[in-house]
Amino acid sequence: MKTSFLFLLLLFAGHAAAHHGLAAFDTTAPVTFHGTVTDFHFVNPHCVVEFDVKDDKGEVRNWKAELTSANHLAPKGWTESSVQAGDQITISGFRAKNGAASLWATKVVLANGEELKINGGN
Amino acid sequence: MAAFGQAHEEGIPVTDPLIIAKCTSCHARDEHGNMQRISWERTTPEGWQEVLKRMILANGVAVTPPEARSIVAYLSATHGLAPEEAKPVLYDAERRIHQETNIPAENLRNACTTCHSFAHALSWRRSAEDWKQFVETHAARYNITGSEEAITFLAKSAPLHTPEWDAWSARKADTRDLTGRWLLTASIPGRGKYFGQIQIDRATDGFNTSVLLTSVNDGFGILRAGRGVVYGNSAWRGRSKGGEPAGSAPGDLNSEAREVLWIAPDHSEAQGRWFWGQYQEFGFDVKLRRVSTDPTLLLLDRSSLKTGSEANRVRLIGDKFPAHVTPADLDFGPGITVGRIVSNTKTEVVAEVDVASDASLGKRDVSIFGSVAKGSLAIYDRVDYIKVTPESALASFADQTHALGYQQFEAVGYQRGPDGKLHTADDLDLGPLPHDDVTWSMEVFYEAENHSTDFVGKVSPTGFFTPAAHSPGTNYDVWVIATTRNDKKPLVGKSYVVVTVPSYTFLGHRYVRDLDRWIDDGKADGPAQ
Repeated sequence: MKTSFLFLLLLFAGHAAAHHGLAAFDTTAPVTFHGTVTDFHFVNPHCVVEFDVKDDKGEVRNWKAELTSANHLAPKGWTESSVQAGDQITISGFRAKNGAASLWATKVVLANGEELKINGGN
Repeated sequence: MAAFGQAHEEGIPVTDPLIIAKCTSCHARDEHGNMQRISWERTTPEGWQEVLKRMILANGVAVTPPEARSIVAYLSATHGLAPEEAKPVLYDAERRIHQETNIPAENLRNACTTCHSFAHALSWRRSAEDWKQFVETHAARYNITGSEEAITFLAKSAPLHTPEWDAWSARKADTRDLTGRWLLTASIPGRGKYFGQIQIDRATDGFNTSVLLTSVNDGFGILRAGRGVVYGNSAWRGRSKGGEPAGSAPGDLNSEAREVLWIAPDHSEAQGRWFWGQYQEFGFDVKLRRVSTDPTLLLLDRSSLKTGSEANRVRLIGDKFPAHVTPADLDFGPGITVGRIVSNTKTEVVAEVDVASDASLGKRDVSIFGSVAKGSLAIYDRVDYIKVTPESALASFADQTHALGYQQFEAVGYQRGPDGKLHTADDLDLGPLPHDDVTWSMEVFYEAENHSTDFVGKVSPTGFFTPAAHSPGTNYDVWVIATTRNDKKPLVGKSYVVVTVPSYTFLGHRYVRDLDRWIDDGKADGPAQ
């Protein structure tokens, strides 16, 4: 991902956890996806959930949902194993403007209905 | 009765004539020898160096380099950290990438980690009143929000007086001699394990060192020589360089390195990192132990063995092994049989071992002639996943004043632990996979698959990432990806890497890349902070 220099300047001052803004995402049209987790990265500057989503035609596409950093999520109870490959998951957020299979997650709900708290910086 | 508004806590007197002479014009000294602020603070050598630097630059304190060294040495000893206090924050001095998931509150994170690691703050011990004064001064100086919550947390988490410090203070007079021969083990990400010896000799102002390290993988030897100082009887800080001039190759093992070692309270061992590079991205992880009169097992060349495997050749590397070795002299624990001794010398025994198909899984100790290498061998029956380490990192393009910032990655195998879950604390670390077992690739976030990534950089077949020579003037998020070879269903691991410009100016401030963050380096037209 190429981040505009302005955003680099605005948002990269400080820890890599405070990394980039939402300019790359369409915040005007929130979306929700249901899928199966393929991988979870509990890292800085952003945690990332990779998950397979089946579209209306039955074709599977692997999506990537970015969250805030591990440093932000850890105090909220998140761990490396909060999300596991194979988990059913529902993620709401903002899609990447360039059409890539990526979104900025605003809500993460596990198959048992538990919502994982993610509010925090980007 | 303490003075200077520190009535609730006893201060630590300052008796050094040089500090009294240089500092009392601002830090008044009372009848008990307590000096304002200083007597209610303790920190690492780096902490005192930083303070002294600020006093010189901002307050005009005039000291010669020898005087500065003397002041730091005195304060690090009398107002330092106990080894038990220093160890949890050692990664800051060692310049290691470390995910700090221990920050309890958002405002603390914002206030502290915008400019430095959280460990940097926790490297200090202060009285409650001094923490209050510090937070207020810091907030004013750096335009951040200081809060009662921060003061309360810091005063509770990092108090001036602790049982560890009291115990260490009582023992510090017991200055054991570090000189002599020590056995050394080391590892270098991407290059594997090393073993050798370090000779420490007393010098006029500290210690001289000479080191011989040998690669377990290829037998390549490295000679290094250096100097070091021990602060407070527990903190080694030194510099060393190789016997040959360092070449231009990044990560050349002859490069001059800074040395940070934590010395155990009983002085039987030490551990730390020797590091170099524009961002200290290269380094040896080292462990020292004193030479013994008895046989000593240092390490094994293998990190893991699979159940049901036979005739595995394992090299046991150490010191003072007897001339005659039999299988009965080795113990790998239940389920592992030593078939024969293939060869042996004073420093190495090669054994052939079989692992039973029902051998218990997990880390186990290995011993030879009673010398134990704890948890040195993992027994596994499958690799469940691989992890690319470091799991996240910064790398950077070059500019006129900054060299490229590189990053070495490793693919480490794991088997899930008894809880049956992946990525939990009981998972079994099987060690780095051999280079031949892994292919490396990159993916730039939001770029199309198979799109060239050369404009950001390249990752070598050994997992070494080199940023592009031409800086695009902006930053990129990339995955560095390891994929196992020879598996029907290859395992994939990824590291999240931000490849950045090394510095920039914004709203009149200069920001520079540090190890794993950006730091506000002060006004663009002013001196660096």
